Amino acid sequence: MLRRLAVISALAVVALAALPARSARRPRYGGTLRVEIGPAVASLDPDVEATTPEEAAAKLQIDSLIFDHRDADGEFAGAAGSGAFRVTAFEAGKRVVLAANEEFREGRPFVDAVEIAMGRGAHERLLDLELSKTDLTEIAPQDARRAAEQGVRVSVAQPDELLALVFVNGNARSNAGPPNQVAEQALSLAIDRVAIVNFILQKTGEPAGGLLPQWSSGTAFLFPAGSPTTADLEHAKELWKQIAPSGGLVLGYDSADPLEQTVAERIVVNAKEAGMAVRAHAIPVAGASLGSSRGAAGQATHVDVELVRWRMNSPLPGAALKDFLARIYSGPLAGVEAGAFPEAASPEDIYKSQRAVLNTYRVVPLVWLPQVYGLSSRVRDWKTPGPGENWPLADVWLIADVESGVQ
Amino acid sequence: MQPSRGIPLAARVALHTILAGLFLGITPHASYAQAPSTLPKSWNDAVAKLGDEVAAAVSPAAVALKVNNISSLDALYAGAVEAAVRGQLQRHSFSFAPENTAAAQSAIRLQLSLSESAGEYVWVMQVLSDQSDTASSPVIIVAASKADSADAGADEQSLSLEKRFVWKQPERVLDFALLKDATSGELSLLVLGTNRLSIYKPTGSQWQLSRTSPMPQATPPSRDPQGTINLKEGRISLNGFECFGDSDLAGVLRCRGLKPSHNLAGAQMKIPGFLSSLSTTLAEKCLGEFVFLFTAESDWTQSDSIQGRLTKGIPLPLVPAGNTLEFDGPVIALQSESVGSSARAVVRNLKTDEYEAYIVTATCGN
Repeated sequence: MLRRLAVISALAVVALAALPARSARRPRYGGTLRVEIGPAVASLDPDVEATTPEEAAAKLQIDSLIFDHRDADGEFAGAAGSGAFRVTAFEAGKRVVLAANEEFREGRPFVDAVEIAMGRGAHERLLDLELSKTDLTEIAPQDARRAAEQGVRVSVAQPDELLALVFVNGNARSNAGPPNQVAEQALSLAIDRVAIVNFILQKTGEPAGGLLPQWSSGTAFLFPAGSPTTADLEHAKELWKQIAPSGGLVLGYDSADPLEQTVAERIVVNAKEAGMAVRAHAIPVAGASLGSSRGAAGQATHVDVELVRWRMNSPLPGAALKDFLARIYSGPLAGVEAGAFPEAASPEDIYKSQRAVLNTYRVVPLVWLPQVYGLSSRVRDWKTPGPGENWPLADVWLIADVESGVQ
Repeated sequence: MQPSRGIPLAARVALHTILAGLFLGITPHASYAQAPSTLPKSWNDAVAKLGDEVAAAVSPAAVALKVNNISSLDALYAGAVEAAVRGQLQRHSFSFAPENTAAAQSAIRLQLSLSESAGEYVWVMQVLSDQSDTASSPVIIVAASKADSADAGADEQSLSLEKRFVWKQPERVLDFALLKDATSGELSLLVLGTNRLSIYKPTGSQWQLSRTSPMPQATPPSRDPQGTINLKEGRISLNGFECFGDSDLAGVLRCRGLKPSHNLAGAQMKIPGFLSSLSTTLAEKCLGEFVFLFTAESDWTQSDSIQGRLTKGIPLPLVPAGNTLEFDGPVIALQSESVGSSARAVVRNLKTDEYEAYIVTATCGN
């Protein structure tokens, strides 16, 4: 009996050794990936312009799936359907179904199809994820921790979206005429960025002192972003006294963005603690200025300072800062001569350019926000897209109901 | 495999790999772990620039230098960089005030932060003074290229795994092989990509491309191409094709198609606890036990590792043995050599987005 067992055992090992080194880790073809998004895309026609930045971003993601690639100028190339997927059904603002392109140049996607439900609210999306009615959806950073505690599989990227205050050109207390950015500096000193991260974002994010995150630039630590000290608050009070008779500041925020609203209200509290008068004011910004500062909206509703969310377009600090500087020198620092920013900027160039902007206090970084996604348990090889990247849905695959074993 | 007392029974291919590594210097950073005082040239340049710029900003005097490592540099390298910076400052006639002394109180405070950006190490020197705040302190910033981390040293365990870096390239690597010519003794490196077999010959400390052979392509191409080089049989399998050639695979390849399929499942054998690991069995035993190599339970978006496990046979337990080899990305292919105690591993390095080829060798200890 023992001898027989030994023989069987040896045969099993030999059989195992003879098998190729493959396993269930290898991707599997098939299945339909269910995605839910907040924006409602009205048309996939490239000539039809999106009405909100969110719709434009969603349309961009869908385009990246159905077009072969992007040209150097950023335009999608090839015919619709030449990409990893082709559109098989589209209901404006509600639903789009994509099928795998068998002939795709880079190889057929692993999933057979992608179903994207559009116009789904944040709460609905989370609920659907918990009920396994969807496989992939974006989660607001402030909801990430609660979702994880409820058992949702959460994928958090490196923080790449800057939430900042920008002082609106031409509106910044023009009647009072504050000398040398006194109000700006006072407000910057008074804001408790750590509290915003800890309490509003539930620690999903990082306090921001510079225009680039530490993981990208390596020098963010040179721009401190801690809680204000007693000395900071005293300094803020002294600065504000210089211009106090001129009245308060109006802080604008996107009326459709609950995070901006909460942060704005928090800033009002921080300012009050430093003896400053700041009033939060909701701004309807739909379509005001896609992908850039909401300067135009700010002027229409007469705010002094507004909250903006700027997403990095590249993980590389030089490229990302160049994009931010273009926004800054056409917005809050319009009319100010920008220093030369070299194409191959060194870490020192990048530091100095940030310092030049921040010394004006016209842009006040607050926090870095990550992109957060919720995933169902059957999703594999999802890599949260970094700055400038699109959803990698062609690489995603779905596990079958029963896990395979070592092959 | 036998105990390492006496002559180790490393197989021909593994030995060739080790020799290749030694003579071709294809693990250039491995030596830093043992001798971290020797920095790469680009690092020395960065240190020299730091020293020069500090000297330009501050007159030579007593300084108190504090170093803060907030990068992924390990303590060994950070210490080496600090030593080099101190040496550079001394060359500029700076002296170092001992800590907690009166001299230290009056010395110029220098804060060196070893940081890193998305693409490189960033070393920052701040010249601090009581009068100035952080924002107005002179700041000197230099960049230094990132180097591969050194291999972990083997310890005294029953099974010791060692990885040897062989090759890296941006294009996908499906498999590779090191081959020694029987007559001339010359080494060749065969790298199987998705559409060609590339053969490299050593020239000095580099591999030089000798020739390439196009490989047949499946239509449409697979998103998960697989391929293996079987030197023993002179055969290459790739994307539903089988190609045969001379014993060294350097000549003309004759290919034939196999039945095309998207089915990647193949034959399966379930081992509880290792449902999503790559695994392979080494040809030689260790102390009479079979040696398995397993990757970690992760997917292709995560770092990975390889660990050895010993068993007297299936279904007896697979007992973890020896050290774990860490990789900066998923191990996407793991093939044991037909003889000896080594395996070939292809890793997709998530930090550099390059494909790296390693030989993993198991040595059986006491």
